[in-house]
Amino acid sequence: MTARRLRGGAWRTAAAKPITPDLFEGSGRGDPPASAAPPLRVPPAPQPGTRPRPRQLWYAVVFPELPAALPATSVTASTLERLCLSAHRFTSLVSIEMPNALLLEIQGSLTLFGSPAVVHAAIDQAWSRLALCAHAATAPTTLAALWLARAGRGVCVEEPALLAGALATVPIACTAWDVERLRTLHAMGITRIGELLRLPRSGLSRRLGPTAVMDLDIALARQRAPRRAFVPRQRFRGRCDFETEIETVAYLQKALEPLIERCAQFLRERQAGVQVLEVRLRHRALPVTRVPVGLASITGERRRLSDVLNEKLKSLELPAPVRAMELSSGSLLPLPADSLDAFAGLHGAGGRTSETAAQLVERLRARLGDEAVYGVRSVAAHRPEAAWQRVHELCLSVGARGGLTDLRVLDRPRPVWLLNAPVLLSADLKFDEGPERIESGWWDGKGVARDYYIARPSHGARWWVFQERHTKSWYLHGVFA
Amino acid sequence: MVKTWMLRETGGHSEMALADLLADARIWKLKDASANPPPSRPVWSTGRSALDARLPGGGWPTASLVEVLLETSGLGEVQLFLPALVECQRRVDDSAPPWLVWIAPPHEPYAPALAQQGIELGHLLVVRPPSAMEALWAAEQALSSGVCAAVLLWLQGTDDRWLRRLKLAAEAGGSLGVLFRPERHRFESSPASLRLALTRGEYATQLELLKVQGGRPGPVDCRLV
Repeated sequence: MTARRLRGGAWRTAAAKPITPDLFEGSGRGDPPASAAPPLRVPPAPQPGTRPRPRQLWYAVVFPELPAALPATSVTASTLERLCLSAHRFTSLVSIEMPNALLLEIQGSLTLFGSPAVVHAAIDQAWSRLALCAHAATAPTTLAALWLARAGRGVCVEEPALLAGALATVPIACTAWDVERLRTLHAMGITRIGELLRLPRSGLSRRLGPTAVMDLDIALARQRAPRRAFVPRQRFRGRCDFETEIETVAYLQKALEPLIERCAQFLRERQAGVQVLEVRLRHRALPVTRVPVGLASITGERRRLSDVLNEKLKSLELPAPVRAMELSSGSLLPLPADSLDAFAGLHGAGGRTSETAAQLVERLRARLGDEAVYGVRSVAAHRPEAAWQRVHELCLSVGARGGLTDLRVLDRPRPVWLLNAPVLLSADLKFDEGPERIESGWWDGKGVARDYYIARPSHGARWWVFQERHTKSWYLHGVFA
Repeated sequence: MVKTWMLRETGGHSEMALADLLADARIWKLKDASANPPPSRPVWSTGRSALDARLPGGGWPTASLVEVLLETSGLGEVQLFLPALVECQRRVDDSAPPWLVWIAPPHEPYAPALAQQGIELGHLLVVRPPSAMEALWAAEQALSSGVCAAVLLWLQGTDDRWLRRLKLAAEAGGSLGVLFRPERHRFESSPASLRLALTRGEYATQLELLKVQGGRPGPVDCRLV
């Protein structure tokens, strides 16, 4: 399953299905010792000044039964992903062609298997157990292989020069171009790709658009088209079964520690972090209790994970005794650059501060809820109630020195407390300052027309009051605390 | 430097000179530090000279708990601390400014007003816990985390034991804890190192120091709002 790209551009695949012992020793994981076995194939030395073009051989397989009508449904996607995983036994480069096809690069596997026919036989044998109808074809280019497979031709074309001949009788519907384009071609009396290839290039480009011509070029190996390889998703999953049923959270916390340790180890080995975790508690009769945990920033640190998980568990009320516990991570994410800095802790407060600030926010959120912890931001708006916002995505990274400092500083005084809703006033007031007229917001139905004053009620406080200009009534809106 | 110079000058009476030297207040004795009081913690100026003069060290103490008893909300209690909060956020030059945490404020902290006063809003955290117990827990976490310069907490009432925990957390984390409580708790004992009461007077808020560790309690004449 490990494949290394050699300098000459050929692909070499190591552990695949029919393995003879001497082959395996020769091309095991990592570099073999020089004396262990003779190299399987010496890549041709590149000519000075020329870069040899890597030969590719694509095995396309189409599953017509997968619902092509519903593109990219999750069912199809997950089926294809599972197929990709099983295809990784034959080659390391597998690519998904939505909605219902896979592409396998098998040139690199030929050294191991011997010939394309052997590869085909191995793949067919592996997939014969699946209850899925499949059409396969092999060609040096992705699109040619795909079109041949869609046409149901179980052929194997190895030489790029033979592609035009092999594709000549393939119906144009196999290109999966849009209906409009296919209708145009039918109107022109063209039903096969061979007929299409006979037409002059410039006219084709004008009638069908440049993408269709480019597709033909790619299919005939006149143009390169890189494919995105399928990368299997990685997650941590750990499970702990209890011999006796556990009834208290404190024991669960103890049992969780080794799982967290394993999870942190898993993340450390992959230089990755997580932002979402889930603890699942299995009971005898009741459905599984799920405890989702979100982190304020991506991390792989054991202490932070255990802090947050413990806080979440503490606030949990067990509906029933627990028989087993599982810890699973969300998808792995690359760690932010600052957490990879080995000397982060040595620079003084900087690195440490941000780490623990994120930790503090996480701990508070784990217990009090996400909505209960927030920042505030001022907004350039005239209406006082629209001039601020809660911020839930806090900026917890290193060296973030309040990038959003407000350049527009008000020259009029504003109160520290703003009441959620203005309170109607009846007493007479003494005014210190005013009026400041604020008239805005007519466009969104929440228009205000107010005269603001700073008033001094009988005791020491200062109030921010306004008079509604239409009703002439007085309201308290803020307090200069 | 001082030491060698003094020794050379006094010549023969070296024993006596050493005793004199050690008695000199300018000499910092490396050993035997326990005999001297530890170097005082940094203080933050309150921005009001009349109040600074009455506080030991000349400002709000850090790494301690300050309790403010309020007759009613809106007596300038936030204004009392804002200059110090702004100063402590500005003081750190090279790295990120420290965090300020406001727990269970009675109304919404109005961002434009705080920005106007110079508070770095990117490092202000507002916490709204569902109960007083959770508020105390959050305050303890924030105080002991060491990332917050100041934690302001508004409470209706609490017991002595929790105040002691907050004080310990503030000392551990090196941050200033400010607890606002109603005035009815005035005659209860409190572990806070500084207690003040704000009452409304005829024309302006009256500030009274109830307990000052290392200072003298009594009313202070300063204008708040």
